Formats: sequence, structure tokens, C-alpha cells
Amino acid sequence: MEKNKQPVRVSTVLIYVFFCFMMVLYLAPIAWIAMTSVKDRASIYKSPFGWPTEFHWENYAAAWTGGKLGIAMLNSLFVCGITLILTIVIGSMAAFAIARMKWKLSGAAMIYILIGMMIPVHCVLIPLFVRFANIGLNNNLWGLIIPYLTFSLPTCVFIMSGFFRSIPNELLESACMDGCTIYQIFFKICFPLARTGLFVTGLMTFIGNWNELLLALVFVSDANKKTLPVALTKFVTPYQTNYDKMFPAIMIAIIPTIIVYSLFSNQIVDGLTTGAVKG
Amino acid sequence: MDKLLRDKKAIILFVAPALILFTVVLFIPIGTSFYYALCDYDKKTMTYHFIGLGNFIRLFKDKTMFIAFKNSMFFLVFSCVSQLIFGLLFAALLTNITKGRNLFKNVIYLPCVLSSAALGLLWAFLFHAKVGINNLLGAWGLPQPAWLYSTSGFITLPMWVIAFVALWQYVGQSMMLYMAQISGINKSLYEASYIDGATKKQAFRYITLPLVKPMIGTAMSLNAIGSLKFFDLIYSMLGDKTENLKMDVLATYLYRTGFSSKGGNHYGRASAIGVILVALCLIATAVINKIFKTENYEM
Amino acid sequence: MNRKAVSVMLSLSMAAGLLAGVPMTAGAEEVQEITWMFWDDLEASEDPITQGFAANIERFNADFEGKYHVTPITTTLEEYYTQLNALVAAGETPDVFIVSPGPNLTDYVAPGVVAPLDEYLEADGWKDTFSSDAVFTQQTYDGKIYAVPLNIAAACCYYNKDIFEEAGAEVPTTYEELLDACAKIKEAGYTPITISAGTAWCLSMLAGYLCDRSGVDLAAINAGDESWVQDKTIAAGEKLLELSQYFQETAAGDSNDDATMAFAMGDAAILIQGSWAIGQMNAYNPDIEEKCGVFQFPAIEGGGDPGRTIAKSDSLAVSATSKCPEGAVELIKYFTDDEAQKYTAEVGGKIPVTNVEFDLDVAPAQLADVMDVFSNATGTFGFYNESLVSSDAGSEFDNEMVAIFQQEKTPEEAFQAVEDWYAEEGYR
Repeated sequence: MEKNKQPVRVSTVLIYVFFCFMMVLYLAPIAWIAMTSVKDRASIYKSPFGWPTEFHWENYAAAWTGGKLGIAMLNSLFVCGITLILTIVIGSMAAFAIARMKWKLSGAAMIYILIGMMIPVHCVLIPLFVRFANIGLNNNLWGLIIPYLTFSLPTCVFIMSGFFRSIPNELLESACMDGCTIYQIFFKICFPLARTGLFVTGLMTFIGNWNELLLALVFVSDANKKTLPVALTKFVTPYQTNYDKMFPAIMIAIIPTIIVYSLFSNQIVDGLTTGAVKG
Repeated sequence: MDKLLRDKKAIILFVAPALILFTVVLFIPIGTSFYYALCDYDKKTMTYHFIGLGNFIRLFKDKTMFIAFKNSMFFLVFSCVSQLIFGLLFAALLTNITKGRNLFKNVIYLPCVLSSAALGLLWAFLFHAKVGINNLLGAWGLPQPAWLYSTSGFITLPMWVIAFVALWQYVGQSMMLYMAQISGINKSLYEASYIDGATKKQAFRYITLPLVKPMIGTAMSLNAIGSLKFFDLIYSMLGDKTENLKMDVLATYLYRTGFSSKGGNHYGRASAIGVILVALCLIATAVINKIFKTENYEM
Repeated sequence: MNRKAVSVMLSLSMAAGLLAGVPMTAGAEEVQEITWMFWDDLEASEDPITQGFAANIERFNADFEGKYHVTPITTTLEEYYTQLNALVAAGETPDVFIVSPGPNLTDYVAPGVVAPLDEYLEADGWKDTFSSDAVFTQQTYDGKIYAVPLNIAAACCYYNKDIFEEAGAEVPTTYEELLDACAKIKEAGYTPITISAGTAWCLSMLAGYLCDRSGVDLAAINAGDESWVQDKTIAAGEKLLELSQYFQETAAGDSNDDATMAFAMGDAAILIQGSWAIGQMNAYNPDIEEKCGVFQFPAIEGGGDPGRTIAKSDSLAVSATSKCPEGAVELIKYFTDDEAQKYTAEVGGKIPVTNVEFDLDVAPAQLADVMDVFSNATGTFGFYNESLVSSDAGSEFDNEMVAIFQQEKTPEEAFQAVEDWYAEEGYR
């Protein structure tokens, strides 16, 4: 009987052991934050790794109100939402024109945009800060949206042009026969067809901006306009560290991302790589 | 059809918003940045004076700049090498199993989508001098290393700690890229090699590795730029302690020179650091592409 | 993609954008807006002084409803001056803003960003409510007062009476006695001194005390009459190094907060810190209030006046371009009135600037001792890093002191580096 079965190879077992160990390495810290987030300050210091003896759920309320996480989350949602929509519309229009339309400078335009992928945001930080301060865009969420949009575009154009290239020519030709204008071809045929790509770029843009710290730190000082990552760093200051509020705040910040990720992880992970490989 | 695709008005309408944004928010400011880099910013009068290469000369002599440069180079090399090794290892191992493959890869990729600021706070607590891991070590009577505040050695212990945290967080990205490339390799190549008596190791060495090589270039460029930009993690783990702990990287030094209340508001000098950063990004990308993109196999 | 969904999302986000962009001005035509800028978050902060400031603003807004309305702009301390400068550059200087006396205030007095306040202080006897004219010393330029101090914090040495008793140590009055006490405490198995070198200004404060006690004449050094490299500074540097053997092991990486906590938890015997640490340590461990004593920083024989205390005050300045200077001044009065000053002493743990009566029993126990030290002081001086030629010079000083502590540089080399910095920046 046993001979008919595929023998379980030692190497396979080792691989599973290895990855189970990796799972612990990746999930334990997150599980540990969840556990620590309901402890009071004294027990965080005394037994940081012990199971909580009492559950201080009020930590979450304290972190939420004390750290202004509600406002921060709304700000983050607003900034990332608008950036997402604008990136997708502007980015895929440009990607379509570059990938499918026929003009001399399309290659040059692609390179122009792709250079943006190589340029770190740091080097435009100061000119943008000075300029935005002069026109009143600092301390304004639009002052974040504009650079976020610009720095999200290269990836979007890069991935979307891959998707647009994969749309068969026949489809466009038959649409053309039916008397569609170029705008209809784009908005009614290509745009919907590339929705996997849109979804992926959308998620990546959103997540990337959701986590962005440096620009948000520099451009916004008003406590009511801070984004989530900035609000998080405020729990640790040279003057005080509120661990009992910090851990619930970390949880509040990462749980939405974890939920979205676990719902769409396959699409995100696959889409990301398809885009990268196609380019 | 052809006429539609050559519609000038449509092309302009489609491309203009992106190109205008790029020009206004990216390329003009880069130009400004180059100009500022050649200027001294006077805090009191809030004006710029052209001083030529003064900022660069000053940075060249500046010991914090040396530290920041050294640390950034360390992160660059460490991240490129470690992500290549572990990314490729994870990818190769994962393609060898079927059950649970998705679970494993999704979990390993998870930290890539989480906020570095949040994870940095977590790791800073775990590597705290007294609480965190040292609390456990102390309870077991083991020595408690100065994880995040040792300043001895050329590459200090905190550098290694943060480099490993960065590896932990971002290795999923490289792994995904390599996996995509490996799963794109035609299975018949492997089958043919096994028929010829090749071992798994040999198949990896002579089939997988060469075919993955172009992707190594892509992944490594991403790592290189990512590690030169390295800011979030180090800022949330060390805050304003980077300078005294000799833990500055180019990005934190730029941030402090430009925006901190303590020794900040030197827009000219900060722009010069920015210019150096861009130059490094371009050089690193060019070098990596030169090494890995020379040969391309047909798949 | 579903077009309806897209259009709904678009219009929703546009509506949100409109809401976010337009301040609520309904029915507020006659109300004058006053902006007030501060370096801590009013709601999130656990610092009692910040919480008191938030209450002052609330009181002001309630009392002047329909006339004035204050909008706070808050940042972190780290980014404060950057953000303030950005607003100044944009021509939107906040009507009232907090500023540290010293080079930071000079930065705004020199280009005329802030207005002199003498006229307002003289009116209605406002100035007479202050405990003395001396509280304005650091805010006065050419005989004009440019900012109003709100509180005074004095830097003292806090000690744990229980540990001192257990170790058989005496409260030191001289540097030699301090070393002696530290040795005994170390023998008894406690950390003698807890300090933060991770947050450089804490170490720099100790260095400042050592310099002053050694008799360093900072004014002469700033003016260029004396060099940073001299026997007195080097002696101070050597003493810093000598004391560092008694610091907690993790001093290099500990933040200010970690250092204060070690004292509050009874791990360490001496904490050298500003009086703002009182509230902090009592919050960590209420038991410390009883055990904590206070002494003046010890004297160094053959050095300077041992009666001098490091003092720091938070001050408010008024923009020279404010559209509503009367309102701005009214607002500042809410920070120096009896209610606010009483709170400063009783809850905030800082020394009030006015002659307000307050209940010492309500205030933290340590405050009485701090006020004792302060009233016996023969003079005050500022933080060294806020008393040099510029804020950058202060930062340079901080870093060199850390370098001495980390034994990267000898005291000679470190002070030579500060001297070189002065020369390079054109102050020599």
C-alpha cells in the first residue's frame, strides 16, 4: 500500500518546518501587539510577554480620542481616496495614450514618467515645502494630495500600460467599426477591460499613500489635519512615551490594512507581480 | 482605426494632465533643488544667496554627513544582498511546495503593506534597553545587548538590528518578484533536465538562476532605491536620537537639516543632500542594470 | 467599473473636499479670529502644563464668545520653529505664539516679526501682577519687552531619600560630596544618577551646570573675548566624564522619559532635571512624591557662584502684523491671570510668574522644595544650548557634550570643536 503513495520527502518536510518557523516570525509580533494593547502601563513594563491578566479595553478609547485617531483616519481616507481616484483616471489615460496610441513622442513620454520612479521624494521636499508655504498649501490636505498623486503616477502608468498593451487589437478595431470615438474606446472598452489592473494599482496607490510618513510629517502641522502615520509617531516623544496608548493605536492603524489585505491578498500579490513582469 | 489612434487632440488630452503634474511637481522642483543646493539660506532674512559649491564642500567635511553616507551605503548593500539571498531562497522553496504556498507567501508579504511607522514603534519597543526582549533575557539571566543604542564599531549594532527589521518587512516584495519569474519558467525545461539526470540543485543553478537574472536587476533596483530612501522605519524607531547614536542615514539627515528645530532650516544644505541622494539613486540603478541586464534569455 | 459607483464616489469626495477646505464661518462675521501657535498637541498631551493652556484657551473663547475666537495651531516641539518659519514666510504669522527666550526669540525680534508689548503691560497694572521685573530679563531687547513669560521651570537635583538613607549618603553641597554620595549609592547596588544622553539636551543641561559652577563666563565666550578652550570648560568636561561612571548603564540610548522613569521607579538615586519632571515622575509612581527630596546643584570649589540656578520660561509673543493685537493681548492675560498661574503651580509643577496665592499642599510635594531652591538662588541662567550665539550653536554644544560622554573625544577636543564651529560660522 505504502509504496503506491508518493513518499513524503525529507526536503519537503524541512521546507514546511522552515515556513512554519517563518509564520511565527511574521505573525507573532502582530499577535503580540494585539495582546499588549489591552494591558495597563504597569504590566506592559513588568511582563511585556505575559498573557494579560486584565483586559483594559478602555486603552482603545483613550488612544482613539487622545491620539485624535478618528480625525487622523478621516484625513488619511480623504487624502488617499482622492489621490486614488485621480491617479487612476490621470494615470490610465496617460498609460493608454502611451501604450496604444500612435505618436512620435510616446516612448519619450514613457521615459519621462518612469524617471519619476527613480527619484526619491526627498529631493523635492524642500522646494515643494517652500513653494507650498508661499501659496498656502502647507497645512492643507491638498498639499499632500498633489505630491502623492505625482509620485503614484509612475507605477500606475507602468502597470496600466502593460494591461492596455495586452488588449487584443481586434477588439479596438471592431469598436472602431461600430463608430466609437477614441474617448468611447478608452472609457467604455479599455478602461473597464483593465479593471484587474486598475484594482491592483488602486490598492497599491492607496496602501502606499496610507503608510507615507515623511511628506505628511513635513507638510502638515495642524493637529486636525494629521494623517494616521504621523498621529502614530506622536505617541513617542522625547518627553513621554505612552505605551498603553501606543499599542492600541498601532492596532487601530494596521487592522484596516490587514482586513483589506486578507480579503484581496491574492489579487494584490498577483497583480503586483504581473504588472512588474509585464513592464 | 489608425486615424483614431493618431488623434492629436485626444493624445494631448490624455497625456497632458500627467505630464503637467510631473513637470510642475517633480521636474521644476528638482531644478529648484539643484539651485538651492548651490545657495546658502539665511534664516533671519529668509533669502537665498548663491555660494557655488559651498554646501557640498561643507558636507564633504561634515562628520555627520560621513556617518549618514556610510549608514546609507550599508543599508544599500545589506538590503541588496540579503533581499537577493532570502527573496530567492523563499521563492525557490515556495515553488517546491503546493499546499499552503499561498498562505505562506501572503503572510510573508503582509508587512510590506503595513505602515513602517507602526511597525517601527513595535520593534523599537521589542528592542528597548529594558523592556521588550531584554526583559526576557534579563529574566533568564542572559546579557542584555544594547540593541538600539550601542555606538561602538564601524557598523554599529543598531544598524544591524534595523537592517534586519527592514529585511523582515520588505523581503516579501523581492520574494514575490522572483516567484513570478520562476513560475513563468516553462516546466518542460525542468522535466528535460531531470530526464538528463540533473539534480534539483543543478536545475536551480543552471535553469532557474539564469532565467531569473533579469528579474534580479529589477528587484535589486527597487531595493537599492528603497534603501536609499530609508526613512520611516528609522524615524519611528529612533526619533530624534539618530544624531547622537550615530544612526543618521541620508534621509534623516536631510530631514533634520531641513526641518528640525534643532539645527534645522538649512534649506540650501538640505537640498545639497537631496541632490546627492538623487545622484546615488541614479548611479545605483545604472550599476545594477549594467550588471544584471546584460544578457536576456528567451523564455 | 461601475460608473454610478464612480460618480457617487467622486461627488462624495468633492463634497468632503469642500467641507475640509472651507472653515466654518456661519454667523461669525464679527468674530475676530486669533491664531495661537504652540508646540504640543492640546488634546493628546499628558503634560499638565499643556492641559492648563488648553483650559485657558477654552476659558477665553467662552468669555469672549461673539467677539474673539482663538484657533490653536499645534505642532511637535521638534518641528515647531520650522512650521512657524513657514507661516512667517507665507505672511501668516500667528497672532500669538510660544517661543523660547534666547536666540530663538532674537530670531523674531531682529527682523521685526514680533511686536513690543510694553504699552500693553503698563496699561491696567498688568505688569504689577508679576512677581518682579526680573522675570522679563530674557525677553527684553533694548529696553523693550517682546514676550510675556508664563511660568518658570528651575532645573534642580532630585534625590530619593530612601536610597540615600539606605546607602548612608549625605545630601551633597559640593562636587566632592556628590562624588562621595554616588560612590556610596553605587556600593549599595543602586544607580547613582539617571540621565538621558539619547535626548542630548538632558546631558547638556548637566554640562551647563558643571560649566557654570566651574566659573565659565558664557557671555565673554559668546562675545569672542574668551575661547571655549580654557581651563574652566575643560575642567567641567572632565567632571562630566567623571560623573558618567555613575550614570545608568543604558544612559546612551535612554530618552528623557526612560531616565525620569528609572528615578520614579526607585532604581536610581539622583535625577538632574527641570521642574517639569515632577509631574512626570509622580504620574509614573505616586509613591515617589513622599520619597523625593530636592537639592541645589553642588558647588565646585574655586569655581563660580554656587547659588545660580538654570531656569527656563515659556513665553508668548505677539505678531507685529497681527490684525487684532488687543485680542492677542487679552489672550495672553488669560495665561497670566490668577486662575492660570494657580494652576501652573498647583497642577503644572512650575513656578508661577505672578504674585498669585496658591495652596502648597495641593501642589506636588516637590514643588515647595524647588521653590525653596529657587528663592535662595543668587541668580539664574538659561540652558546652555539656548544661551549661545544661535540655536545651531546650541545644537553643536549638545553634540560635543555627548561626544565627551561617549568618550569619543577628550574634553579638550570637544571644546576645541565648539570653538572651531564658532570660528567657521564667523562668530570669532
